Amino acid sequence: MKPPDIDRVISRVEDLPTLPRTVLRITELVNDPKSSARDLARIITDDQVLAARLLKLVNSSFYGFPQQISTITGAIVLLGFDAIRNLLLTTSVFDLFSNRKKISLIRQEQFWDHSLGCAVAAKVIGNHLRYDKVEELFVAGLLHDIGKIVEMIFLPQAFKDINHLVKDKNILMIAAEEKVLGYGHPEVGKLLAERWNLPPKLIAVILHHHQPSAAGRFAFEAAIVHLADILCRSLNIGYAGDNKIPALDKPAWESLRIRPQAIESLLAAISKEFDDISLFITYTP
Amino acid sequence: MIHLKIDAVKPGMVLARSVYNQQDLLLLEKGTALTKKRIWMLKTWGIDRVSLKGRGQNDEPSVYEVEFETRESIERELQAKFADVIDDPVMQEIMKAAGRQLQKSLTDPDKQNETT
Repeated sequence: MKPPDIDRVISRVEDLPTLPRTVLRITELVNDPKSSARDLARIITDDQVLAARLLKLVNSSFYGFPQQISTITGAIVLLGFDAIRNLLLTTSVFDLFSNRKKISLIRQEQFWDHSLGCAVAAKVIGNHLRYDKVEELFVAGLLHDIGKIVEMIFLPQAFKDINHLVKDKNILMIAAEEKVLGYGHPEVGKLLAERWNLPPKLIAVILHHHQPSAAGRFAFEAAIVHLADILCRSLNIGYAGDNKIPALDKPAWESLRIRPQAIESLLAAISKEFDDISLFITYTP
Repeated sequence: MIHLKIDAVKPGMVLARSVYNQQDLLLLEKGTALTKKRIWMLKTWGIDRVSLKGRGQNDEPSVYEVEFETRESIERELQAKFADVIDDPVMQEIMKAAGRQLQKSLTDPDKQNETT
């Protein structure tokens, strides 16, 4: 049987899940320099679930604010517009994960944990490198493997074959994808990212997280997510679909200028932050 | 196999039987290694007792043996995962550091108590 062509996936791009209306409205607001925290607060308070999630998260030790934050406006002022948009993107991706019944609960939970772990790891590495937009790294980490979810939903048979091959040969999922489909989850993820009109930086990271040096002007961000993926796999955070560690891209590692002695403290920080945040964004089927 | 009350369960222990909720929905499959979050999840579903891999005397829980097994399996799993990339000295460093971190979270009493 011929594997599904990536063009066919593209032709079905209309079927790909869209972002919830609230997130689209908020994205517009964030891009509009005239909008105020009050405008944003009005949209968020319309959505009770979103409002509750936001307050829970902003009060978690993940952000470490010394005082209790009880209003949406307060949360917006403290976190900033971009962080809020990213948080909402996070919850939307989360819903995408949980709406599917195709694979077992445990599998979905572990998949989600891998994404969340990678998001946390990218943020930790960003902080270590004093990168100024760590929230972006968080979202990039969260979305880097989104192509696997698309495969699971749209190419269920191929996804099954890929998983069998991973088990049989004990190889990386991307290697199995190349064999079964002729392309991998980075290419598939890019389709969804384009469909969602995500910023070029995010698209580049999703497409190049296995070869960050190829990401052009976003090679640095791609390198961070590449390393984040490796670190959270090494800590057994979640399950990315296989039991292997991807090879480290040498030029990417060198571009980060992380001292090998710093790895241990990075791992400790990732482990702690993941524990903190995963209690707040918990997978409830 | 040992049976433990959920409050006595520690991260790193491995389920000997699958856990279902009252509606027979599968929560966790047998063979799953428990984490702090998963134990918390089981508590929120109202799960009272679970069956775990390991041996116990007179059905008494033998936490020591369970932990001992896990310590060894951490090393084994890491080596298997890194087998193809271990020629890279940076990867060796990451593997060693990850091993230490995983052992630490296994024995760290603060972490084990923080299950709520």
